Amino acid sequence: MTGNRLGRLLNILDYALSSLGRKSLKNGGVFIIFTLVVFLFASFQLVSRALTEAAQTVLATAPDITVQQMSAGRQVSIASSAKIPLAPIFGIKKIEERIWGYYFDESNGANYTIIGLPARAGDSGGTQLFGLAEGRLPVASERGQVAISDNVRRQLQLGNRKHFSLFRPDLSQASFATVGLFAPKTEILTADLMVMNLADARDLFAIADGFVTDLLVSVANPNEIETIARKISEKLPGSRVITRNQILKTYKVVFNRRSGLGTVCLLTALAAFVILAWDKASGLSREERKEVAILKILGWQTSDIMLLRFCESLSLSLLAFISGYLLAWVHVVFWGGALFRPIFLGWSVIRPVFSLAPPLAASDLLLVFSLSVVPYLCATAVPAWRAATVRADSVI
Amino acid sequence: MRPSTGLLMTLMILSMLGGAVAHTVLIKRGEQAENLQILQGVVASLGLSDLALSTEARYTRHPAVSDPVVVSMDHPGAIDHFPSTFFWAPVARP
Amino acid sequence: MMPDNLVELQAVTKIYNQGQANEVIALKQVSFTVARNEMVCVQGPSGSGKTTLLSLIGCIFAPTSGRATIGGKKISRLPDHFLTRYRRELTGFVFQHYNMLDHLTVLENITLPLLPLGISPGDRVRKADRLLEKFGLSHRRNFSVTQLSGGELQRVAIARALINDPPIIVADEPTAHLDGKLSREVVDMLASLRDEGRTVVIASHDPIVSAHPAMARIIEVRDGIILHQLSGR
Repeated sequence: MTGNRLGRLLNILDYALSSLGRKSLKNGGVFIIFTLVVFLFASFQLVSRALTEAAQTVLATAPDITVQQMSAGRQVSIASSAKIPLAPIFGIKKIEERIWGYYFDESNGANYTIIGLPARAGDSGGTQLFGLAEGRLPVASERGQVAISDNVRRQLQLGNRKHFSLFRPDLSQASFATVGLFAPKTEILTADLMVMNLADARDLFAIADGFVTDLLVSVANPNEIETIARKISEKLPGSRVITRNQILKTYKVVFNRRSGLGTVCLLTALAAFVILAWDKASGLSREERKEVAILKILGWQTSDIMLLRFCESLSLSLLAFISGYLLAWVHVVFWGGALFRPIFLGWSVIRPVFSLAPPLAASDLLLVFSLSVVPYLCATAVPAWRAATVRADSVI
Repeated sequence: MRPSTGLLMTLMILSMLGGAVAHTVLIKRGEQAENLQILQGVVASLGLSDLALSTEARYTRHPAVSDPVVVSMDHPGAIDHFPSTFFWAPVARP
Repeated sequence: MMPDNLVELQAVTKIYNQGQANEVIALKQVSFTVARNEMVCVQGPSGSGKTTLLSLIGCIFAPTSGRATIGGKKISRLPDHFLTRYRRELTGFVFQHYNMLDHLTVLENITLPLLPLGISPGDRVRKADRLLEKFGLSHRRNFSVTQLSGGELQRVAIARALINDPPIIVADEPTAHLDGKLSREVVDMLASLRDEGRTVVIASHDPIVSAHPAMARIIEVRDGIILHQLSGR
């Protein structure tokens, strides 16, 4: 009996596949659209998953608390003296001053991020070799030194030269010597960075003495970050206090399906399925009706016809799903999400080079599956039922 | 060959391809894991808060630390920077 | 074990669209029997109810009232599921319009009834080849049915009706689209099935059919009732 059941399944599957092949133009079209929809949606999901995961891992070491000054809804420089009321808060290990900002290079339209490193006690620069391909970080004691990424070096067209200059707001020039180069594999963080010491950054941006961009607060016990952050915002009215958790939270939602592209991918998928379902549901053709009636007269049960339709829909949607999903992985992992790069990098002149390797998560697969194959099967279930209930005597 | 056998073989070939892709991904993730440690070091030593992905606007370069109204920074009513903000969801503030 | 009367109808009535405005009473209180190994001809003008009678015998639907016993199975008031099973096991149907699936080959059309039974492709081909040979169609085996002539199509249809080896063969106007010579061939073929021990019921107004030497009875149907029965030659 089991053999017979398997035989029945295989026979009907054969028949279903042949009838799919017969209408190859229509079904080929459905297959291509289906594959494309799955590919787009899955690619988007994998790219955002990879970026989200990278952000969550990498930024786990972000500053415990960042304190900024707000004025008229904008971030402005914060006075160094703001450190004084914070000092008595129990649990703060260290407060560092930092100046950072953007430097727009008019010659090529690139936008660099300049970071003035906080001066650290016993700072030797050379001991911090993290992520540097060559050289060292600038030190507090020597002026005019920068560490830049290879990408920035290319943008500045430095070649083998070490020296370059940037404009202060008053258009006078500040010269710098490159003392360190970030490794290309850190580009996801360092692509547009120019790291210098605090004094150089202050000089370049012409920020008044006694003011910095923000304060970085280290906390001894990570469990107390939220409490201390609340205390800081109470002590400094008009300030904005950002904890590491908030940074991570930002990166949890910044790449997701609610963004424009995600919505478009979803809407495309939805529209495709509505069209497919409408096409399928919009009535049985005379041919189909005749075929079903003949099969029924020849002894096919209603359940056999249902199985036939189910085999058709399932094999088509499953093949398209697997192909689309595989293509999405190839696109994301081997081609680095090449289709989406222009979108999420936008008009940026500096384009970081980084590879994407999203986790193999069954939940991601199930999500795409349940948004593609499942609605397709549902959409075809009603027409399949209508086809299967065609009466046998309708051809006599 | 029966069509069902063909389907089965296609599915098998596809799952073999899937296995190959998964294998490559796992290798790549292994390599990445080392790099992630280096990146964590960079974040810690420079006090970074954001990924350097899109440098075109403040809220795509530094979404975590840019102020809540940064989208209207350029001037109130400025239009989004298409296309990168097409990918980046608006930052939800707690 | 098959009963002596393979077809037994007792006071059978069939009403289409019952209770609706377009209600049609196709058969009224019809009673008759066909014995095993008998060949009968049902005659009557179109709309007389002969196709309905044939469909009842072919287990295509159950009667609205009355008792219908086909091959010893009571088919009155059976759910569709059982009706389909009996149709598969007990009867083979030959149509006026052949009712072939045009996109399939001769071989594929003949083996269609075997697919839901789970019979393997090899066994299907073996069964079909035996029938194709019997009806002289082996050379047309892999042709599309659209390439066949009317006479060939009707032979394919008979082969298809026989694929499950049913005890009853029902044919509705099998010679309607054929000329005299081909008609005689088809009736001969159906008669040979009777000789194999099957029961054959043919609806036809073709004299070639009703006058065939193997015809045991001619049943005249008009307006849903049996007018009279004549014994054949």
